[in-house]
Amino acid sequence: MHKRSTFWAQTCFASMVLMLLSHFAFSQGKQVSGKVTDAETKTPIPGVSVQVKNTSTGTITKPDGSFSLTAPENAVLVFSFIGFDSKEVPANAAGNIVLKPSVKSLQDIVVIGYGTQKRNEVTTAVATVKAESFNQGGARSPMDLVQGKVAGLVVTRPNGNNPNSSASIQIRGLTSMDGDMQPLIVIDGIPGGNLDLLQQDDIASFDVLKDGSAAAIYGTRGNNGVILITTKKGKAGEPEFNYSTYLQREAVAKKPGILSAADYLKIAGENNNQGANVNMYDLLLDKNNLSHYHNFAASGGTATTNYRASVYYNDANGIALQNGRQQYGGRININQTGLQGKLSLQLNLATNLNKANMNGGRGGDFEQAVQRNPTAPLYDANGKFIETNGFNNYNPLARLMQEQNTRDQKTNSGDLRLTLEPIKDLKISAFGAIVSDDYNDREYRSKISRSSIQDYQGGGYARKANYTGKDRTFESTVDYTKRVSDHTFNIMGGYSYQYSTWETYDMNNNGFLTDAFEDWNINAGNAINDPKLPRPSMNSRKEDNTLIAFFGRINYNYQQKYMLQAILRHEGSSRFGVNNKWGNFPAISAGWVISKEAFMQDINIFNNLKLRAGYGVTGNQGIPNYKALITMGTGGAYLQNGKWIQTYGPNKNPNPNLKWETKKELNIGLDWSILNNRIGGALDVYNRRTNDLLYAYSSQVPANIVSTMYTNVGVLANSGVEVVLNTVPVKLKDFTWNSDVTFNFQKNKVVSFSNEVYKTSPQYFGDLPSPGNLGQAIRVVEGGPLGSFYGYRFAGFNDAGQWLLYKKDGSKALASEVNEDDKAVIGTGIPKYMASWSNTFRYKNWDLTVFFRGKFGFQILNLQDMYFGNKKWAPNNMLDYVLGKNAKLNDNPAYSDYYLEKGDFVKLDNLTLGYNFQLKTKYIRNLRLYAAGRNIATITKYSGLDPELQDTALDSGIDSRGFYPRTRSYTIGLNIGF
Amino acid sequence: MKKSNIILGAAFMALGLGACTKLDEKPYSEITVDNFYRNREEVMSAVLRPFTHANAWAAPTGQLGYWRVSELSADQLAWPQKGRHGYDGGNWIRLHNHQWIANDDNVWNPWNLMFWGMGFCNATIRDLSSLDFTKIGMTEADKTSIIAETKVLRAWHYLKLMDLYGNIPVVTQVGVPESPATKPRKEVFEFIEKEIRDNAEQLQPLSPQLVGRVTKAGAYAMLVELYLNAEEWTGTPRWDDCITYCNKIIAGDGGSLAGSIPALEPNITNAFANTNSNSPEGLFQIAYDFRSGNFRFGWNGDFWHYRQRQIYNADRDGNNGIVVIPTAFDAFKDKDLRKQQWMLIGSMKKDPALRTSEADSLVLGTEEYSDKPLVFVKEIRRNSEGETGEGGMTRGEENSGARFAKYLPGKTDDPNYWGNDFMLYRLTEIYYNKAEALMRKNGKMATQEAVDLINTCKKRAFKAADWTTEAYTTTTLTMDELLAERGREFIFEGKRREDMIRFGKFTTATWWDHKPTADKYKLFAIPFRQLSINPNLKQNPGFE
Repeated sequence: MHKRSTFWAQTCFASMVLMLLSHFAFSQGKQVSGKVTDAETKTPIPGVSVQVKNTSTGTITKPDGSFSLTAPENAVLVFSFIGFDSKEVPANAAGNIVLKPSVKSLQDIVVIGYGTQKRNEVTTAVATVKAESFNQGGARSPMDLVQGKVAGLVVTRPNGNNPNSSASIQIRGLTSMDGDMQPLIVIDGIPGGNLDLLQQDDIASFDVLKDGSAAAIYGTRGNNGVILITTKKGKAGEPEFNYSTYLQREAVAKKPGILSAADYLKIAGENNNQGANVNMYDLLLDKNNLSHYHNFAASGGTATTNYRASVYYNDANGIALQNGRQQYGGRININQTGLQGKLSLQLNLATNLNKANMNGGRGGDFEQAVQRNPTAPLYDANGKFIETNGFNNYNPLARLMQEQNTRDQKTNSGDLRLTLEPIKDLKISAFGAIVSDDYNDREYRSKISRSSIQDYQGGGYARKANYTGKDRTFESTVDYTKRVSDHTFNIMGGYSYQYSTWETYDMNNNGFLTDAFEDWNINAGNAINDPKLPRPSMNSRKEDNTLIAFFGRINYNYQQKYMLQAILRHEGSSRFGVNNKWGNFPAISAGWVISKEAFMQDINIFNNLKLRAGYGVTGNQGIPNYKALITMGTGGAYLQNGKWIQTYGPNKNPNPNLKWETKKELNIGLDWSILNNRIGGALDVYNRRTNDLLYAYSSQVPANIVSTMYTNVGVLANSGVEVVLNTVPVKLKDFTWNSDVTFNFQKNKVVSFSNEVYKTSPQYFGDLPSPGNLGQAIRVVEGGPLGSFYGYRFAGFNDAGQWLLYKKDGSKALASEVNEDDKAVIGTGIPKYMASWSNTFRYKNWDLTVFFRGKFGFQILNLQDMYFGNKKWAPNNMLDYVLGKNAKLNDNPAYSDYYLEKGDFVKLDNLTLGYNFQLKTKYIRNLRLYAAGRNIATITKYSGLDPELQDTALDSGIDSRGFYPRTRSYTIGLNIGF
Repeated sequence: MKKSNIILGAAFMALGLGACTKLDEKPYSEITVDNFYRNREEVMSAVLRPFTHANAWAAPTGQLGYWRVSELSADQLAWPQKGRHGYDGGNWIRLHNHQWIANDDNVWNPWNLMFWGMGFCNATIRDLSSLDFTKIGMTEADKTSIIAETKVLRAWHYLKLMDLYGNIPVVTQVGVPESPATKPRKEVFEFIEKEIRDNAEQLQPLSPQLVGRVTKAGAYAMLVELYLNAEEWTGTPRWDDCITYCNKIIAGDGGSLAGSIPALEPNITNAFANTNSNSPEGLFQIAYDFRSGNFRFGWNGDFWHYRQRQIYNADRDGNNGIVVIPTAFDAFKDKDLRKQQWMLIGSMKKDPALRTSEADSLVLGTEEYSDKPLVFVKEIRRNSEGETGEGGMTRGEENSGARFAKYLPGKTDDPNYWGNDFMLYRLTEIYYNKAEALMRKNGKMATQEAVDLINTCKKRAFKAADWTTEAYTTTTLTMDELLAERGREFIFEGKRREDMIRFGKFTTATWWDHKPTADKYKLFAIPFRQLSINPNLKQNPGFE
């Protein structure tokens, strides 16, 4: 296969050389002048770019809208300005020019990977969200900014607003069972960029490549779509300063219905009364939490050298005690053009230093807070914390006070792009980037802590761990555009090399004489000398992988009416078997702007009507490293000549044919706008099929050693519809109302889970927790969808309050009398429909955003009800389900559809009121003050804390016993530019 | 302009396109097979892998393997549901009631674990057969002996698999054939017999250096088990062969861990103590040393209560799982030291080192008896709710049932803390097996030799004053009594199901919450997971 790639490279290279040979010329002309005005307000527009078509000659309009320049006799002038439709006028006819405000985003630049396109030239399913449309308020993760903004892009926060948690992201549902399930993130061209390096005020736009015909340019990482994030860059002009700040507070959105001490004693019995009345849940909350954020940016420079630099500081505090993250850092962008405009350089440097307190905010602590006997005192007579003796009990407040766990993290990235434009429209560029991620963890459990006393003979426990990851990227591209009358061709080709490594070590020790050192003198722990103490341990590991690709793209358009795009990426990943390292990922797509056809000119309804269709093949290489190698694994020490020596044996069945999953996707889309662009939208329908699904399939034992084989067998199908509707219902001089709706429907099916050799029996996910070990909640079978709850069917209670469950034959039986054969599909945890509705009202200087978001068509398995809502949970405390719907129940937890609830919800997710001050001063360019609330209200029938759960994984829809409190966030912010 | 730019552009492109297309992985922290077997220690570390794996299925260490299904389906041990704990998908209830189906974890997990261990043996035999031992400083004699050991160990895996599943495929090469076919039990039996007999004489005799390994003594013990059960497994009795190999072991032909011949321990505790590595009773055992190897026989998970570490001043607790069935507990006389010393019953006291005051000397419960003294009772029923009677599999509480104490770890400051080896075959069993073979040969009537063999062992479980009334005679040692006595001696050792089947009781007897079942439950089903991918497997009768 090396031969093939070389051939491809040579072909590519030869065509580039040929193109270098062609060139252009043009001649001088005469003086032209005029004035540009706004079609709606009839006022002059300053700053409009006036350019002689196909040249770099041009000017911009003055404050009164006037312009003058020299242009050739037969030249065409192009008038363009952000927010207005461009207009082309013959130079000899130029005079008073009227520009119409553009349909939102029609002329916008769309980032498509190794290049950009104009929105109206796009032939694939690409969504763009610009800074002005971001969700307002404090974002814990950059992905929060676009939550609900893109149809088909799911952003969920399984851990609520915990500042030390990340969002889970998915485009168009699950495409894999064992490979990556999250989209590829590309930040300013760096594939696999680190989201920690992005601050909300530094981001200019998100572009989401949803379908295969768009994502194919990223080959083996395209299956889950691609999110391209572009940061703000330096630009020529007056030096600008911008300062943004906000203050934010979290407040609990819904309290769990923990029984009061009195109610608890009614159920658990007076003999469990320990005399006190403690609300442990409240004690774990930091009700006075406050987060603040500051970002200061400066930009400026000339047309040939410009820059943007920003620094930020953020102190983020969650609703839980000891649950904070302090971070600071900066981002610098420098652009320079030289060699008579032929060579340009772009440099980006970004850094993030953060310190996270990971001690608090753990789901397990809140689980303890719910189940702790509310009459148990916190402290004994000596002021020592009291530990209750129940199974799996610990005092969460004591744990917080007696332990510490922090992470110090440094993330850096630097990239440099050199672009040479030896002749017009031929760009040759080389791009290099290094992204590094380092962290140091430290942990100490003091001598009096429960862990220390239980497991370390009272000698404390210290741990230190370190991680270093580095991604090195080199890419070179050649990009050439040629216009021949109405035909425009663009061809791009390139090479990409990415090498990633990560390494870790960690160590721990115990047996400390004093707490004074914490983890800063780890060798002082006596466990390294005393074999009677638990053994201290140490670990280290390093892994690497390489991705190499050759890629090309051809775009053609005729009169911006017919467009065609073809992509091919030839890519190899070190992770796959020797027989299958390289693969090809082609895509083709086309667009037809129907509204530009002559027959449409009489039909005045459509301002824009465009049909798109695309088909693309992408891959997924997101599997662990070294899966294809025949490796030996350890199996514990055994006696060998009087010494205890580690044993080794084969730890997997070898698979030299291991290859990437391949997804084939067909996407058909329609973009439209009517009524002077007041109403517009897009409709996309897709059908995707992931072949060669990677999974640990059942293998035959004997004769194989291990009962699973990691190989490519199954087929997974996804299909869906996405609808976007952008409207301007009201547009008056002082008042406008913009209203945008997104909607999507998705479904999936495991088409096949077997081939001639590997026939996989059902796979199970979602382990139900101890006690009881009730098995797994979710089953995947061939022919069925992912995410199906599979369990017993509730048939009522008998007179003793025991479970009656349906047997396969329809009869009713006790929980001890049913078996695996009596289970059935009882629900699904993955939402079928998602929708959002965003409204922006502007009245004079005021603006108001009202944003709703919802998910529909799924069930939630309420484990809090199942365990905490059962009398048998006593002598632990319980939730008030025991007094209500479960009052009759007098049996141990059993998994049945009794605990499945409808999860559908609508959230008032963002409410922001802003005011833009119009100051008559030269010193302040803009000043905006706003107040925002997030997660303000939830409309749902779900009885648990929050119906929005993890819904991007194979075990979606399970509401665990442990949880992080869901909060409403209130923010007051200020943006000022001067 | 043009020319220089073309050259510059070309150079630029070349920089990229000429670059590397190599996609090698460097496995920094893993070892690949090509880099292994470079010296004696590496060779041995692969040879010994199936031994540490047997920890998972042959011993009660928290996995659902041979040990668990052999004990929980029989009349001595059970894992009852105890309130909100221990339902575990109904697994243990189905084992107790003999209700397993082809789609059951009880059927799949032991199959998987045991064939996995067998696969390690196949891999070692394959890799070592093609290895030039002289290049790594070992001899051809080493090679012969190591391969013979691995083959006998493999045969032992098949012996135990055949015990559970009866008709199974026999595979001796990794991955070949792709879909191996089921062989009738008789053929499996013949394969095992031939494999062990062909290789036994190339093994080393048992010696203290070879503790935990398969030696002549272990191979002979496997043959004893095979021949003792031959009538049940093949229809043809082999009592004389059984006695022959018992005699070889007793005579010291297989070697010994102490002196020239193996010997019975003088008491009932030494063979299970944390110093039992060199017990003269040991014939084949899984060796552990927690202090030196950081690897232990972790029985705590299956047996211990959530607070049981406090009794011993140990460093682990348990999942409060397996307990002694009340009728099995009552099968011991009160004066039987095995009842007194191998089981826990009554109020539990903390180790003195853990008491902060006299009042603090009791271990407290965490569930039904939360913060109240933990008192193990023999009944398995809801005493806290006033229940009387026999109780049942779903009626347990946290203190239900007498508890396992046959193996004890010692205290954390003991230099041999938790260093216990798990006995797979010990000399006592050979005495019992020989006695049984003698009796069966004698029309199921005791002979004096049989009585002497049993009495020699049993005597250790009684004080001298009590022994006079407890010694068997040829009239008191009936077959039923022999089965009961085997139960008392080998309780917790993972042998009960096989014994009950051989005595014809497994599917016909009633005990505690268990009713007689059908003959088909003498075997486990062939797991559905394998049947669905291997067309050449045949389901056992009655499970189709």
